[in-house]
Amino acid sequence: MTNSALFLVVLVTAVFMVVAAMALAMWLSPKSYNALKGEPYECGIETRGPSWGQFRVGYYLIAILFLIFDVEAVLLFPWATIYSSIGLDGLILASFFIFVLLLGLIYAWKKGALEWK
Amino acid sequence: MNFSNFLFMQHEIGLVAVFLILFFADILGSNDKKWFYPLASILFAAFTVAGFFFNPQGEAFGGMFVASPLTSFMKNLLNIATFLVFLQTYRWLEQKEIKERRFEYFLISLITLLGMYLMISAGNFMMLYIGMETASLPLATLVAFNKHQRKSAEAGVKFIMISALASAVMLFGVSYLYGATGTFYFSDMAANISTSPMVLLGLVFFFGGLGFKLSLVPFHLWTADVYEGAPTSITAYLSVVSKGAAAFALLFALFKVFGNIEGVWQGIVWGLSVITITLGNLFALRQTDIKRFFAFSSISQAGYIVLGIIANNSMGITATVFYVLVYVFSNLASFAVISAVENKNGGDTSIAAFNGLSKSNPKLALLMMLSVFSLGGIPFFAGFFSKFFIFMAAASAGFYLLVFIALLNTVISLFYYLMIVKAMYINKADETSVTPIKSDNYSRISMVICFVGILVVGVISGIYTYINGLAML
Repeated sequence: MTNSALFLVVLVTAVFMVVAAMALAMWLSPKSYNALKGEPYECGIETRGPSWGQFRVGYYLIAILFLIFDVEAVLLFPWATIYSSIGLDGLILASFFIFVLLLGLIYAWKKGALEWK
Repeated sequence: MNFSNFLFMQHEIGLVAVFLILFFADILGSNDKKWFYPLASILFAAFTVAGFFFNPQGEAFGGMFVASPLTSFMKNLLNIATFLVFLQTYRWLEQKEIKERRFEYFLISLITLLGMYLMISAGNFMMLYIGMETASLPLATLVAFNKHQRKSAEAGVKFIMISALASAVMLFGVSYLYGATGTFYFSDMAANISTSPMVLLGLVFFFGGLGFKLSLVPFHLWTADVYEGAPTSITAYLSVVSKGAAAFALLFALFKVFGNIEGVWQGIVWGLSVITITLGNLFALRQTDIKRFFAFSSISQAGYIVLGIIANNSMGITATVFYVLVYVFSNLASFAVISAVENKNGGDTSIAAFNGLSKSNPKLALLMMLSVFSLGGIPFFAGFFSKFFIFMAAASAGFYLLVFIALLNTVISLFYYLMIVKAMYINKADETSVTPIKSDNYSRISMVICFVGILVVGVISGIYTYINGLAML
């Protein structure tokens, strides 16, 4: 078989398996619907007050900053492995890169993104 | 490492220097910096003027970055447009909700401009892609700048989602082109180009990605909502600078890479420009919000810009660049008036707010009238000359039917442009219209520059012949 035909077979098989699993589960399962099952859990009693929790945006900020600096570290690994053969020019190029990200870190620091209030 | 390569990147290095100065001014200054706005404006004005003296010429980094007098002119044009947009933002940035964040506006705008420089000077599809990404991602944060207003946040989400999709589609097309020709560089690819199905598929997807930024018709659905929701000066920036840069990038990509197989893409561009101009015109007729109205008007203007690209010769390049130049002045003039009116009446951007503007603010009404006359192509404002040259370029390549359809659409477009003039001059002022506005000095400078530009750019023939001299690729 050609490669494209093989690819098509894999694609169709994958889609079929997922659809079959979900369809079988939907048709063969016992169903008992009760309105009480849809309510949010609050230790067995009726809910009091609004059920929405507060989402702390600090988690998001930390995650984004981590992502950025982790990607920076990943991109610095290959540079580190061939550092000895690219010498001074390599150092200058990598320091451009690190400088740009350092600017980002300074900005985040100064604007208080690193505080956990 | 050959550091003399950076000598070709004078505009970019200058822009990075401006960015670094503003960055450190923001970091090191105190919290309430009254001097930041004048500093940013004057610094960027100085950079715009200095840009006219940079004249790099040649290829850098092995052909990835191409600098020519034409790209320098294009970058200077984008500088002028960005400077005019900066001047219009004073009132908006003074508002309480965004006063702490107002420095970020300049920094992010400069980065998008840098991305656009890279997009224009690309000699390699990867450079084009990097430039396009650098230009679109920060722009999405700018669109959502009024983050506590629902419309702005909604516009930002729509923009970033569709922009990411368009970039992905464009990259998919580029990957097909790479698969067909084995190289990313424009010059090498042009030598290996053929009309095989793989190349055609790659071209179609690539065109789709760039068509998104240019808001051509099947890819225009984001334009109305994003233009309406974004802050007015960001709308101005999007409609002029982003569109201009995308037009230039498309111009270079099509001419340099696919110049030999022009029969293929001229058909695509023919169809797209017809439906773009027509659909932009038809939808603009029904709008009641002025920013949405200008979104659809700029969709149809993008159709006209693409008319210049369809003629695969130097007259087409000249016509496209001249059209973007005139479009800068006309559109920024109207956005200056829109932002003045919007700041006065607290964010209401319906056309009804312009009722009776000629009685309360005669000079603003005059500027808006000149701007829509120029956009509609009435002689002897600059818009007439730019449309004339675009039609001449398209006709020189033999596309007479296309020029005829575009002429019909110009007449239709005059109707809705004149609706604004009617609202300003004939409608009586009612309770939704504005009282006399006293603009700040910065907006006044930008309005004066746009006013002079509309009146003068078409009539001074030296500008067109200068661009014509640059357009020998």
